[in-house]
Amino acid sequence: MRANVWSGRNTVQVENVPDPKLLNDRDAIVKITSTAICGSDLHMYDGYIPTMKKGDILGHEFMGEVVEVGRGVSNLQAGDRVVVPFPIACGDCWFCRHELYAACENSNPNGGLAEKMFGHPTAGIFGYSHLTGGYAGGQAEYARVPYADVGPFKVEDDLPDEQVLFLSDIFPTGYMGAEFCEISGGECIAVFGAGPVGQFAIASAVMLGAERVIAIDHVDYRLEMARNKAGATDTINFREDPDVVEQLKLLTGGRGPDAVIDAVGMEAVSGHVPVHAAERLKQAARAETDRGAALRDAILACRPGGIVSIIGAYGGLMDKFPTGALMNKGLSIKTGQCHVQRYLKPLYEHVKAGHIDPSFVVTHRLELGEAPNGYETFKHKEDNCVKVVLKP
Amino acid sequence: MTENSTAGFPRPVDATLHGATDYSVGAALMTVFPRLARVEGTPAGRQIRTAGAIHAGYSTLTDYPLGVVRLLPYKAHLAIDAIGALALAATPFATGQFRQGRSQWVPHVALSAFELVSLMLSDPTGRGNYKADVAAVRRSNMEDPHRKVHDKTPAVTRRSDSVARETAQ
Repeated sequence: MRANVWSGRNTVQVENVPDPKLLNDRDAIVKITSTAICGSDLHMYDGYIPTMKKGDILGHEFMGEVVEVGRGVSNLQAGDRVVVPFPIACGDCWFCRHELYAACENSNPNGGLAEKMFGHPTAGIFGYSHLTGGYAGGQAEYARVPYADVGPFKVEDDLPDEQVLFLSDIFPTGYMGAEFCEISGGECIAVFGAGPVGQFAIASAVMLGAERVIAIDHVDYRLEMARNKAGATDTINFREDPDVVEQLKLLTGGRGPDAVIDAVGMEAVSGHVPVHAAERLKQAARAETDRGAALRDAILACRPGGIVSIIGAYGGLMDKFPTGALMNKGLSIKTGQCHVQRYLKPLYEHVKAGHIDPSFVVTHRLELGEAPNGYETFKHKEDNCVKVVLKP
Repeated sequence: MTENSTAGFPRPVDATLHGATDYSVGAALMTVFPRLARVEGTPAGRQIRTAGAIHAGYSTLTDYPLGVVRLLPYKAHLAIDAIGALALAATPFATGQFRQGRSQWVPHVALSAFELVSLMLSDPTGRGNYKADVAAVRRSNMEDPHRKVHDKTPAVTRRSDSVARETAQ
């Protein structure tokens, strides 16, 4: 089969690789019909995620048709159309039983590595380095799905792929970020980052009843999409004025947003050029793994007693994390890889009811063979790129 | 695009970053560096200023993303960088000025070492930091990005609106 493989920093290529096979009774093989490039795939593309090996198949957002199931999978059969959540979860461990699927104790065969870095193992993730299990990803024609009796979500309506594909990651991730903000109606939420996850965080905050949603980014067309499609009420382009904290205070009568969502993560850009240059240099020299411009501004801007929701992916250590502001303002931090399985059904119902059309983010639909061009176009935000869907 | 230029020794400096370094180092050598290195008004200062000017000069002629008149192939630029670095390091010893003290040769050798290290880290393919064929992307894209960004139909319903709609039903 053909698959998009990582072959070094800033290099992916579509190669012929062996077809996946059932390895365990609870496996399924899925013939992929749609797959997407995620912003967090760029962290591997850029070389910031350790434990990648040349030849690793990328991709953790995919859906398709079940072609084969193991003996232990009774809820699926060949021909079923499924969306596959990016965290691999066993369904039986303490964490899975508490719906904390992204912390599954059993699905990451390299959990020891993760434990050394994070204190505890994390769940396996498709196509996301050997730190998360070294599983082959979904930017391919076929994928092996472990614990297929727990993860894959059956799509029984005739909704098009692109309305349900993003249930695999970015929609639930954005929704979880908004849910962390404890929106009950009338709040002001600031969302840092208007990439695909940021767009869904904005849309989810709107769905949950936030009165004002402020999108922050440095790319005009993404801010325009945030306003036109996702429902942002205000936007801040920090290329025009890098003092985001001051602008957020101005927009909120000096108080600051009730909650802030960091949908940026480890490759944040600062509007202050010297700050950005210094952080870029430190990260390139591996003196820090995570650039903190967005998270620092988020913490400084959030009103006292507010909530800082972090859904952008971070990998290790950050310099100048503002613990003083965090503590003295009494902020609550909520964060995590998304427990996607928990959100599949309710968000599917929202899509079905027409509350949201998740396909709004798709700006590029390319054949799988175009994946290398897709990665570059997405990374460099060329051609108004927000989200790339690949068709195997 | 599929060539793996990063196999083996890591070469994280692409042509764009290399160009930015060329101009910033060239400008520094022509302006503040001689004073900072305390060689202002000496042969060493003049040599370093000249080296900076030459460097910035052929950078403007190089065929890379920050080039102005792109006449000089990038690999030729890298070769000139290497020859220039060695020539700069050799100058104080060729002229005999190294006998006048360390300030007359250490800056030359340090700059030469910096240049050689940055050369070792530079991706010799000459690609800028955007390596895709955007024309090919546009040809094969089955979606219209402009419409998706600029169309003003909201993709999401506010909770108050959806609750009202469901109540009415």
